[in-house]
Amino acid sequence: MNNSKKPLIEINELVKRFGNFTALNGVSLDVYPGEVHALLGDNGAGKSTLIKVLAGVHPATSGTIIIDGKEGKFSTPRQATDAGIGTVYQDLALNALTSVTRNFFLGREIKKGPGAFGIMQMNEMDKITIEEMSKIGIDISDPTQPVGTMSGGQRQTLAIARAIYFGAKILILDEPTSALGQKQQMEVLKTIKRVQKLGHIAIILITHNEIHARLISDRYTFLSLGEVIGKGLAEELGGDDIKKLMAGGTEIGDLRDELGV
Amino acid sequence: MNTGVNSNQRQESDRQDIKKWYSPILARPEIGPIGVMLLLFGMLGYFSIPEGQFSLNPFSGEGFNALGIRNNFRVIAQLGILALGAGLLIIAGEFDLSIGSMVGFAGCVMAITLKWGFAMVIPYISFAGGLHIETIKLFAITDVSPLTAIFITLCFTLSFGWFQGWLIVKTGIASFIVTLGGLFFLRGLTMVSFRAFNKAFSQTAGSTTVTDLPDIKNIIKVPGHGEMEREAAKALPNDQLLDILSTVPAHTIAKISEKLTYVNEKVALYKTISNKSKMIQSLEKSLEGAKKSNNESMIELLTKKIEAGISVPDVAANVVTDIDIAKTYIDTIVTARPVANFFGGDIMEPVFDWLYYTADWNVNMYGRQFADGMYSCLMIWFLMALVCYFVLSRTQAGNWIYSTGGNLSAAQANGVPTNKVKISLFMFTAFCATMFAACQVFEVNTSDAAKGNLKELEAIAAAVIGGVVLTGGFGTILGIILGTIIFGIAKEAFFYIPGIDGSFYRVFLGAVLVTAALTNENIRKRIIGSL
Repeated sequence: MNNSKKPLIEINELVKRFGNFTALNGVSLDVYPGEVHALLGDNGAGKSTLIKVLAGVHPATSGTIIIDGKEGKFSTPRQATDAGIGTVYQDLALNALTSVTRNFFLGREIKKGPGAFGIMQMNEMDKITIEEMSKIGIDISDPTQPVGTMSGGQRQTLAIARAIYFGAKILILDEPTSALGQKQQMEVLKTIKRVQKLGHIAIILITHNEIHARLISDRYTFLSLGEVIGKGLAEELGGDDIKKLMAGGTEIGDLRDELGV
Repeated sequence: MNTGVNSNQRQESDRQDIKKWYSPILARPEIGPIGVMLLLFGMLGYFSIPEGQFSLNPFSGEGFNALGIRNNFRVIAQLGILALGAGLLIIAGEFDLSIGSMVGFAGCVMAITLKWGFAMVIPYISFAGGLHIETIKLFAITDVSPLTAIFITLCFTLSFGWFQGWLIVKTGIASFIVTLGGLFFLRGLTMVSFRAFNKAFSQTAGSTTVTDLPDIKNIIKVPGHGEMEREAAKALPNDQLLDILSTVPAHTIAKISEKLTYVNEKVALYKTISNKSKMIQSLEKSLEGAKKSNNESMIELLTKKIEAGISVPDVAANVVTDIDIAKTYIDTIVTARPVANFFGGDIMEPVFDWLYYTADWNVNMYGRQFADGMYSCLMIWFLMALVCYFVLSRTQAGNWIYSTGGNLSAAQANGVPTNKVKISLFMFTAFCATMFAACQVFEVNTSDAAKGNLKELEAIAAAVIGGVVLTGGFGTILGIILGTIIFGIAKEAFFYIPGIDGSFYRVFLGAVLVTAALTNENIRKRIIGSL
């Protein structure tokens, strides 16, 4: 990867406290365009809090977030979206009962006419939906089919394509492969790979799955108890390092002993 | 060994059954309601044909003669206005049980303002001459026009709808409970208001109705008399009627005279026919009597008489008089209160005239015109349904309504103002109730505190029969319309079935309702992929 590139988003010494509880204790993170940055850590490591701060759900207690050289201060999800942070949560925020197009443009419909009673430009919206979906590798022949009829992988793709189309430069994927079958997981990984190849989007990938992380990630950051316990490029880290850091620093060997295997 | 991917490998799509040609038709959620509707229409058509007559034409029975169509579609349209509001709200994932009470309340406000006017007062406690409450009158309108009455009513109903919606989205209390409160609150308020106003004028305990409103939709400008009710104008003394007629242009008089001649001839013809059949009936009766008493000569005489045919003298048509023409002319004068006529009058009168004068169908047993037109509420239902269809299926607001009911958190995450959507729809149900009330008040010129009772449940049932899922996010306007027709027509259809209790229509509707709910849930699950 080209290391002379400037990071698209720089997170410096981010602290988030909930009363007496310190969820994030000075986390720093750089994400480069065209790269997948895997954010790994055990449950309770602070991954979810970090995403929520980035997505504008919780304001940071201290620390800075610099996007494209500009400092971002988010107190609402809308501000984060406007600054170019697109978050794809596990539940994907899709309405299974309505069509692909209606979901793609939900809340941001293309319309002509006054206010909410403007007429949706369905043909145009259908066209854009098909185009954007095919850019990251899913060919939907019928954009009027209900989202409920799509596979889990296709739904993930829809949510990612939607985030990108509406201006996400930094794409946060919250455990995109969990709760999917093997085949679907591969589909989603392929999609992420295609987004990576677009070159201008920085991807933060939160996952529990070490194999998936190693398949597509360029960089790693490991969190434990609200702090960064390790980071590095994919080439530099060995498989055992990753395993160890993912478990929060304990040796797999120690675990073996404990289990008495 | 061939382990590679070959072209004959099973695909995901191979696991699906091959679709039959009729599969797309059966997959439409409206197909069930359409079937039930056609069944009911058929039942109503054929069972309402009088006993002993045979006809393949379903329009020859009482259910679908001109008057039957007029009355049946009034029941359907009135329910339909409410079902649109209830249905849209359910699609957005909420409930309104206060619709029926809102109908009564809206009718009450409208009738009271039409009768006694509208005033805004500020009450305060006065100590002068003992503790009592005084009021300052801010303004008062004594002569309230229909449009103003509707506007004032809308102020009350829409703000109550807004309040219910606001309370539900802000507190998160189930809409079932909040609107159940609304149901009792509004019904009580309606009764209290009626009694309070009625008591002020008669010393007996006030009644919960207003019955003596003028026939506003039929107020017309009569030449030489100013504004008056149509019936009063027709009851004027003959010389004054003739005066009125003298202002009418000659070609109008000629046209009316021609029509009246047609009517009189038709009446005379029907009278002749009826006289003939009466005569034959009495002869046949005598013949039966003769047969019973074995009176041979009498039997012979009567049989001969019947065989020879009866010659009853043709009834002569009445001559068209100038008074008749004047009265008919008064009937044709256009209303001076178009708003009241818009809600309470008739529509499609030219069509029904054509059906009588030209198509010779819209005729009652006396030879006169059967129905003058359709009730105006049918047009209001139609217009509202058109707007609702457009909004729900074509506009951004429609997408918001579907997503608010389909997946609330997803809608919020995508920036849909779900609270606004819900509050607006609570106001829309109040609007529908007000339209229903306006149609009733201006049509029958009365208002009753019991109006709209149980209508909220009927409206919800109609929406569910039409394919709306109670958990929200699923349903169409076309479905709601079909559900309304089924609900509205079932009572009539069962009424005519010979030999069964008319109340079986409730049994039928109950079964249809549950079947529809099961089917809807099945379709919904298939779409979200859990089936």
